Amino acid sequence: MARESVVIRLAGESGEGVISSGDILTQAAARGGYWTQTFRTYPAEIRGGPCMYQVRMGQNRIYSHGREVDLLVCFNQEAWDLHWHSLAPDGVILYDDTAVEIPAEFQDRARPVRMEKLAKEIGGSSRAKNMVAVGSVCGVIAFDTTPIEELVIGRYAHKAGVADANIAALQAGKNEAADLMNSKEITHPIEVEEDRVLMSGNQAIALGAVAAGLSYFGGYPITPASDILEWLSAKLPATGGITVQCEDEIASLASVIGASYAGAKAATATSGPGLSLMSELIGYAGMAEIPCVIIDAQRGGPSTGLPTKTEQSDLQQALYGSHGEAPRVVIAPVSVEDCFWATVDAFNYAERFQVPVIALTDQGLATRMAVINKPDLSKVEQWQRKTAKDVEGQAKRYELTDDGISPMGLPGEPNGQYVATGIEHDEYGHPTYTPEMHVAMQEKRWHKLDPLANGLARHEYHGQEQPDIAVIGFGSTYGAAREAVDMALADGLSVGAFYPRVLAPFPVETVREFTASASRVIVPEVNFTGQLARLVRGEVGISVDSRAKCDGLPFTAEDIHEMITEVVR
Amino acid sequence: MSTAAPQRKPKDYKSDLKPIWCPGCGDFGVLASLYRAFAELDLDPLNTVVVSGIGCSSRLPGFVTTYGVHTLHGRPLPVAMGVKLANPELTVIAVGGDGDGFAIGAGHFPHAARRNIDVTYLVMDNEIYGLTKGQVSPTSLTDQKAPTTPWGNLETPLNTLAFAIASNASFVARGASFNTKTLTELLVQAIEHKGFSYIDALSPCVIFNNNQESWKERVTDVEPDHNPADRVAAFDLALRGGFKLGILYRDLRPTLDEKYAALVERTPDSDIATMMDSFSARKGMAIGKPTA
Repeated sequence: MARESVVIRLAGESGEGVISSGDILTQAAARGGYWTQTFRTYPAEIRGGPCMYQVRMGQNRIYSHGREVDLLVCFNQEAWDLHWHSLAPDGVILYDDTAVEIPAEFQDRARPVRMEKLAKEIGGSSRAKNMVAVGSVCGVIAFDTTPIEELVIGRYAHKAGVADANIAALQAGKNEAADLMNSKEITHPIEVEEDRVLMSGNQAIALGAVAAGLSYFGGYPITPASDILEWLSAKLPATGGITVQCEDEIASLASVIGASYAGAKAATATSGPGLSLMSELIGYAGMAEIPCVIIDAQRGGPSTGLPTKTEQSDLQQALYGSHGEAPRVVIAPVSVEDCFWATVDAFNYAERFQVPVIALTDQGLATRMAVINKPDLSKVEQWQRKTAKDVEGQAKRYELTDDGISPMGLPGEPNGQYVATGIEHDEYGHPTYTPEMHVAMQEKRWHKLDPLANGLARHEYHGQEQPDIAVIGFGSTYGAAREAVDMALADGLSVGAFYPRVLAPFPVETVREFTASASRVIVPEVNFTGQLARLVRGEVGISVDSRAKCDGLPFTAEDIHEMITEVVR
Repeated sequence: MSTAAPQRKPKDYKSDLKPIWCPGCGDFGVLASLYRAFAELDLDPLNTVVVSGIGCSSRLPGFVTTYGVHTLHGRPLPVAMGVKLANPELTVIAVGGDGDGFAIGAGHFPHAARRNIDVTYLVMDNEIYGLTKGQVSPTSLTDQKAPTTPWGNLETPLNTLAFAIASNASFVARGASFNTKTLTELLVQAIEHKGFSYIDALSPCVIFNNNQESWKERVTDVEPDHNPADRVAAFDLALRGGFKLGILYRDLRPTLDEKYAALVERTPDSDIATMMDSFSARKGMAIGKPTA
């Protein structure tokens, strides 16, 4: 019987076609009308080392990458050794006939694919191995190869010979493993009218930034954030904006702050080590009240840590990093689609509240490819900061207003001159150290953010809004939690998930209401010390079950479903 | 702006804040030269931004009527770059001390120079840390005694002029706080220069490292036959002696903001809707590398 979704995992040595096979398969699935979501791991080395690309595709909307593997494709022996334990009980295996030995007990559901041999016969080199592999997958899941052929023809439009060889390799692969053919048949996608797009979390962030009005981006290469800088470097000049590859992360954020001082909507993107270097400037932007957006694609830490693995361990650094007590907004997108919208929000919050905004993603979400509903650009709002022209007479840059928001003179504006400074200052920006002024300015800088804690920020719920079992998480784990909640609801449980998208200022009352009738509160997060659990305990004053793990891998829906089931027992 | 408006005077650039410097500080002479240079150029205070780091000299933006950014220790140059790139119409001047620019901030200097950001960088060089009370700086002399070097400085001072030339700064000059006429002239030329202009202004700290009298005796003007377009001669001059006042090196090449403007100009226009469509699930080819 055909299934609604399948989980395909390709594994092998980095550089031998695993990633390109995964990309082709993902794009083909999207073209074929399937919802897809991917997860990949790769080594920190440029070439060599084990890598893995998991594609889940299905007829219905998919929110997580899946756990049990329906179809495992092994490019080498290590791939088998590392991944056989992830196979579903009825999962099947395709493997390179020359490189892998499969134990006897798996032989009945494992079939060799002549990846190297067919690639050489057809294309004259081993480069077409990925097409043989993809073809063999198509055979097993009964996937019509037309979208792949279109892709190949499109990509090699001026090299007909190359296109032909690739298509021949694809077809040859499809006919391998003939007796497994259609064994994991996937149901045909339902025809849909609405527009969908396929992109990664990082790409969605870059697009969100452009939609929000980005005109200056300063960045420094770091895994897994670099491709935001790369994509914007290619695209931003077409909108009149620019990107600069700076000498370090300090210069990146410093230049962003300078550009914003001059009126630009400006941003940078980094990972944990870069965020550490930016800490002092985050405090400066908070003190001098200069809007800026910082994307942190978290990775495994501490220090250089696991640079190519996922972790959610920068939460506390994002919330508190920098000396003194420096206000900022922290926002955590919950999906690839939300990477777009949260980035738009980040710019708008930065502008309205004249504050640094840190957006937290992670390696899993940054590199996750997903089919999403195309963001409706007519719904994008662009908020603008209050400037000297919004007030009469000489603007007082740090005026103590009711809402804490003061006019920010932009160079060129009459009546706006002031000196932005990290020194405590009076309403004009003149240095002062009086106790009264310091108290007044701290209150201004912190309380101006109150609307975000009191209803302005949009959060994510799924399941029951007053559940018995409450799940609270942040960021990239939302999709898995959402599917887990659906499983638990189907079990007949009273369960709901709440994902605060804005974590600073923390929505204390919202969490209190959500957990009011809960007997258990589960907090899954990908780190060692349970940072969100501590935040919820500290801010809301309730006890929670911290379910933190730091193995460098994202949660699956099944992981979180098991947590829910365990607390019921 | 009305062309009939009378030319601004130095006092027009003087803010209500009184400098917090010690009596006799060299920075007063530098500030006076800056007021005069601004007046000579008749700079519009609204379109001028003075950016500084942290230190005694970095309080300077508060004493002028232009826009200003008092940044963090060592960070005026990347902030100034952001200001200039976001609005190339602005005149941007970065100021600071030798510790700010060449200890904590030294990592930014060669990049500002090689990028040729159109910013004037004025360093008030007193060869000491003044604000923190007298510790050695990267330009302090070997064997100098200071609170952190009670046995004498074991390190060799940085030759900032040679550093600037080696880093491809397109304008390199030295002035002195006690010679405001020359310093004013140099500032006028530096601000007018399109590109990164570096001025090292000897500016004695009269409390912790009072070199004023010996410096006054040692300075001489750069010889009239020195050719500032000759980079090797400029380097030679920088290496030989630090007390030649004048322009050591000057070169004209496109500035960073000009290059970005040209890049934007030659890039075909696009918009967010077009970019979004390139990711279409049914039609897109956007996986992997960005499509051109």
